[in-house]
Amino acid sequence: MAFSQSTVPMRWPSGPLDIARQSKVEGFTPAARTALERWHEPAALDFIKNSPVDCLVISWAGGLPEDAAQQKTIAPLVAEAHKRTLSVIGWVDGKVDSTAAIASAKAAGLDAVAIEGFTGKSVFPVITWADRAKTPWDAASPVLAVTDNVWTGVRGATTPAAGEEATEAGPTAAPWLDFNSWFVQLARARVSKPVWMLFDPPGKGAVITAQAYSLAIADQESRGGRWVLSLDEKLRAGLASGDAAAQKIWQSVSDTITFFAKQHVAWRNYKCAGIVGVISNYTGDNYEMSGEILNLSGRRDLLCQPIWTSRAATTPFTGLKALVYADTAKPAPALRTKMMAFVQQGGLLITGPGWGNEGVALTGAAAPQMYDVDRYDVRAVGKGRLAVAKSELLDPWEVAADVNTLVSYGNDLFKFFNSSSTGCNYYTVAPDGKSAVLHGFSFAPPRGVRTAWLRDKHLGAKLWTIGAAAPVPLKPVPAEHFSGEEYQLPAGAIQNYIALEFEV
Amino acid sequence: MSNQIDRRTFLAGLGAASAIGFATKPLRAAAPVAPVSVAKCASYGSEFVTTAAKMFDQIGGLGKLVQGKTVGIKINLTGTGDRRWDYYGSGRSYWTHPDTVAGVIHLMDKAGAKRIRILEGAMSWPYSLAEFLLRANWDPKVLLSAGSNVELINTNMPYPGKKPYATFKVPNGGIIFPEIVMSTAYSECDVMVSMSKIKEHSAAAITLGIKNMFGATPCTVYGNKAGVDEPFPVPYGGRQEIMHDGSRPPTKIAAAEKDPKTPRQSGYRLPRIIADIVAAVPVHLTILDGIETITGAELPNANTKFVKPNILVIGTNVVNTDAVAAAVMGFDPMASKGTTPFERADNNLQFAEQLGVGSRDLKQIEVVGTPIKDALFEFRKVRAATPQPIPKA
Repeated sequence: MAFSQSTVPMRWPSGPLDIARQSKVEGFTPAARTALERWHEPAALDFIKNSPVDCLVISWAGGLPEDAAQQKTIAPLVAEAHKRTLSVIGWVDGKVDSTAAIASAKAAGLDAVAIEGFTGKSVFPVITWADRAKTPWDAASPVLAVTDNVWTGVRGATTPAAGEEATEAGPTAAPWLDFNSWFVQLARARVSKPVWMLFDPPGKGAVITAQAYSLAIADQESRGGRWVLSLDEKLRAGLASGDAAAQKIWQSVSDTITFFAKQHVAWRNYKCAGIVGVISNYTGDNYEMSGEILNLSGRRDLLCQPIWTSRAATTPFTGLKALVYADTAKPAPALRTKMMAFVQQGGLLITGPGWGNEGVALTGAAAPQMYDVDRYDVRAVGKGRLAVAKSELLDPWEVAADVNTLVSYGNDLFKFFNSSSTGCNYYTVAPDGKSAVLHGFSFAPPRGVRTAWLRDKHLGAKLWTIGAAAPVPLKPVPAEHFSGEEYQLPAGAIQNYIALEFEV
Repeated sequence: MSNQIDRRTFLAGLGAASAIGFATKPLRAAAPVAPVSVAKCASYGSEFVTTAAKMFDQIGGLGKLVQGKTVGIKINLTGTGDRRWDYYGSGRSYWTHPDTVAGVIHLMDKAGAKRIRILEGAMSWPYSLAEFLLRANWDPKVLLSAGSNVELINTNMPYPGKKPYATFKVPNGGIIFPEIVMSTAYSECDVMVSMSKIKEHSAAAITLGIKNMFGATPCTVYGNKAGVDEPFPVPYGGRQEIMHDGSRPPTKIAAAEKDPKTPRQSGYRLPRIIADIVAAVPVHLTILDGIETITGAELPNANTKFVKPNILVIGTNVVNTDAVAAAVMGFDPMASKGTTPFERADNNLQFAEQLGVGSRDLKQIEVVGTPIKDALFEFRKVRAATPQPIPKA
């Protein structure tokens, strides 16, 4: 069984192992137990009938006494899955002998087994998974599987239960948005294999709506990654009991996955039109800084392209307005020369104090703007600018904000108006350059009808919404106060995720 | 400004009056007056420039006011700029329109202004005003090139240099605050201009020249995360806690309010605070744009409606000008709290008048150009007559 970009995996908690784990969690109810039992039955596969899900990630071993019972009792489900041409991966975590887990999975006819941090050799397919901080970049795994991700959305917005954390805000009062797409982008810049993101919906007390699921899916899909679908306990129980509301949510989940995995497969290979390249080895402290710059820039709708230092020499800087180099160590001489050549030709390089100063200091009218360069010594070098931080780069939020304004909002590719809480939007271009897609996210209901502004003109545009039979053609209107063109989105376009597809 | 009662003379008299109980004896009859120009204007761009130029002449001429001076223009960019009424650009509905700003810069430059500063406390914005404008898709270059020496300054940030803030004393001790702290950018201006849309306000009833100056107070000192001892390094959110609600004092570099036992209600506090502000920082020219605007609130929401009154109101006395503009909106500038449009707020014109800034009495104010009755555009009636809420999304 080969796992490809088109594989749609779904986490499938069920049976003795998950019951044993969940029963240790406060608030585990008889209904939850019943649901785990129901999902263990072959008939549970009917819950996902006619959906694009084609791969189950079942609980296989957790180093618990229930492992044996789990593996024995799940056999009918596995057999039925295979009968329905679904592949099955056994999820292994905890203190488990990986050799034994592989052997048992093979004997049970599973298609693969997923083991944390696996670096050994195996003829039987093994998916190596790990937390982000230990991402198994170079593992011989058919899939890059990463855990320790966040639930997409406004932090705190889905956990309104008493005593829970309220919605958080960023340092200038903007709501704190959680998403994983920056990491997917980073991963896709490094590996060509499928990128699977693993995370669960928020726990008890949270109300997970269909729109919330759509956001979680689109967050990964818009960058070419894939969420290993994981349903919340209430939804699983609802599906198990035939609840109509649960079925409606599941249908929406299924529609969203279909939208990306079946209807718009080509979008996965579109390239980010980011104007800022963030160069780093993304390791240790550098990962913490440059990764967070990617994350926080995404929140600001500043489109960035991660550039791994190992690939920087062969990565063209074409189309970039700026480079950010925030690693603690100086770059290799060849890379430094390449970056300075970028500046000489008109680019902007933003970097830490270790770089040293070059060029002519910009003052007065030559400085970009008052305030904005306070933390940087900005100098003219050739046709471009070199911005060297006056002190160590310590706060990624501050760096991302500074980058945004040093690059200037005048270079924005797109903006949304009336999206009450937005960020994570993403503009991508087809490999042949003939079409482009703006993935639009809204983390709260819009304040009214929305307008999408784009810097560049396009030959045609259409609005895609999940579940709609067909796209809605859009006509541009000139922007009222400045440059660019605007698309007036229909009043009904209130989904948390929309896509604008352009003919370029 | 020949018709204006000299404000210094007036304040001298007010000083004597305060000794015998200013608060209980408003001196409306003696408050300064100056002509206010009203004109019909249907569009931005060249029609605005031509109309405004004529209006400036009607009130005494722009050159007399700005020649050789540093002019500060406080524009109104409330909110964060990503909100719109329907699909309309912010300048058409609730922000000062960029074409009016550029037009006024052009006219002032022509009239001999030495330096023109565009001032605004950009909300939650720790960077330049130029970048704030770009984020909202304005072109700052249009403003910067409309005159020979134009600056854009985000007054929500500490002013660069050794003196980031300046203190302005409110004559006669003020009503809520005895003094107001602002960016030093304001203290360096010889001439102060308040430039706003003509619109209603959810907490202060109306946003005109007086209310516009509320945004001149820096959020680093008066904002929700203003430091206790020192200003917060960056502006955070709005001014709800200190100004609207009075739930805490401003940063210590600013004087605390006079009487913390007064009502902690926005409708009580805002009208008084903005009167304190315009008393402390005299506004020499008020330019109010009612070509296009919204009714119902200061920001687009479900209750607001886009309207096109096609009017401009310009005057040298901010209270006089606001009084005329209020009348054009169909409101009585003499109205008290509890009556339209001051159902939830005190009448800020009343307090500005009491502080000696200017008269709100239409009988004393000379209106030049279009008579009020011909410019009348009754905001409440228009909104009620043709409900036009934002299309339900």
